[in-house]
Amino acid sequence: MSLDTNDIATDVRERGPLSAIADTQVLPAQWRVHLGLITSVLVMASPLLLAFVMSTQTVPEVYDITDISVGTDGLANYAEVFTRYGMASYMFNSLVMSIVVTVAKIAVSLLAAVALVFYDFRFKNAIFFLILFTLMFPVPVRIVPLYEMMAALGWTNTLLALTGPYVASATAVFLLRQHFMSIPDSLVESAKVDGVGPLRFLWKVLIPMSRGMISGLSVITFIYAWNQYLWPLIVVSDQSKQVVQVGMKYLQSVGNAGQTDWGLIMAGAVLTRLPPLLALIVFRGPLLETFGLSE
Amino acid sequence: MGVHENTYDSSLGAYLLLLPTLAAIIAFLYYPSLQTLRFSFFQTFLFGQNTRFVGLTNFTDLLGSQVYLTSVGLTMAFAVIVVIGSLAVGLLVAFLLYEVSDGKAAYLIAAIWPYALPTAVAGTVLLFLAHPSVGIYTHYLEAWFGIELDWFTVGWQGFAVVTVAAIWKQVGYNVIFMLAALNNVPESLNEACRLDGIETWRRLVRVYLPLMSPTLVFLVVINTIYAFFGSFALIDLMTQGGPTNATNLMIYQLYRDAFQFNNLGLASAQSVILFVLVAGLTFVQLRVSDRYAHY
Repeated sequence: MSLDTNDIATDVRERGPLSAIADTQVLPAQWRVHLGLITSVLVMASPLLLAFVMSTQTVPEVYDITDISVGTDGLANYAEVFTRYGMASYMFNSLVMSIVVTVAKIAVSLLAAVALVFYDFRFKNAIFFLILFTLMFPVPVRIVPLYEMMAALGWTNTLLALTGPYVASATAVFLLRQHFMSIPDSLVESAKVDGVGPLRFLWKVLIPMSRGMISGLSVITFIYAWNQYLWPLIVVSDQSKQVVQVGMKYLQSVGNAGQTDWGLIMAGAVLTRLPPLLALIVFRGPLLETFGLSE
Repeated sequence: MGVHENTYDSSLGAYLLLLPTLAAIIAFLYYPSLQTLRFSFFQTFLFGQNTRFVGLTNFTDLLGSQVYLTSVGLTMAFAVIVVIGSLAVGLLVAFLLYEVSDGKAAYLIAAIWPYALPTAVAGTVLLFLAHPSVGIYTHYLEAWFGIELDWFTVGWQGFAVVTVAAIWKQVGYNVIFMLAALNNVPESLNEACRLDGIETWRRLVRVYLPLMSPTLVFLVVINTIYAFFGSFALIDLMTQGGPTNATNLMIYQLYRDAFQFNNLGLASAQSVILFVLVAGLTFVQLRVSDRYAHY
């Protein structure tokens, strides 16, 4: 990049955007980069923008394929999926599942990380390895016995079955351990001198010091739990207990009687992706920091 | 050796803190994984009421089944395309984000939100927008290129649609990690490139890619696991393995054998094969990268 374009950019900033418009032959600096970004952002967002537009349309409007104007149905499809197609209960069930998984996973992993960082004991490395190695066993690798187990325990269609398999987490233990290890010695020493017990130390010192990491992990876990599909599909057969991802599948078959009511299904899709999207936008700071990327 | 590990000196205390995590990984991860291995040597019949030890019969049956071998080949092709595709798109977007100087924060959030996109929503939305008869994408593709699209009946088209959906959903995740890696490139190196007038694309390929290699290896592993295990919702909602098994990925075949045909032994054998394949691929990827990556 030459010095000239940088000067123009500063110039534009100082004189305000209007002068740049007046100065028609001057393109903003880096226009190729902006064009590339705008194009890729639009391509990635277009399916969801279209889905939102179609969710406001009536059935005839949806079937007029090239009509991509906001429909005359307003938010009627949303009201309908909520009241008539069980969307309210699906979303509630998802919310409960995701919050329970998030809180339990963080709490359990915090305890484990305290043990791994502030204690010295036999088999420590072996136990840490055992925890990390669970990354090799995603749900599909153990799905049949896991289901059999839930059936034998009578846990099918319960919150226990939906959340239990997600409680232990290699990633959360690993990240919290790394974080605790970076805490300055002086702080840990003073806790030791004061004779503060481990749980008090965790509550009074470690958690307040790890707010960013804990919120980042919470968002990641919440999004992960909210988006689960295969396990709820198998372990929950009672529709009133089902989560929203599988609710999408039910919605598809309900809307399929006669002429498929795609506007209705799109309204369901928009609602389903709203909570994780909001979580991402609101907590983008800690989330990106946890991934090693700060704004 | 950890840094703070002599803060507390009760081994019992450490084990107590680890107890919830250990209990959860043993109950929900190690025990069912070992059970999967055991189940794979049994045959179930009468809807799972009866079992009989059959040794390696399930495995020999699978390896002799044309349907299963096709599914394995299909899954490999799917994984290769999804990994390369989502890494390539991710790299392009990450690099543009790295280069842009104005509006970085807004572009960033607009580019990474698909990270929070539920797979079931991605599948449902594209099922409609690319629908052979009412989909707007299909409509314009047919109008502009004068082709006839029907991915409900033409195998490769169904495969292509599912692949695009899988890539779309994964890009946000890759962008986050790639941008974090790009941000770690020393500023002095950037200056040197700029002063030497090295063109942008050259800079990306010759300077940044080698420096990013640890992150790229990590992403190849994660994306491979995603391609093998994470695409279930797409298949279940969009194609149900069809048309004529063209999208019958291994995870979907497993699901069908386990939960539609109640063939628990055969399904467990498929879990074992999936585990061995993914573990083997991960190992190979890490070994290869040991040789070529610059850590």
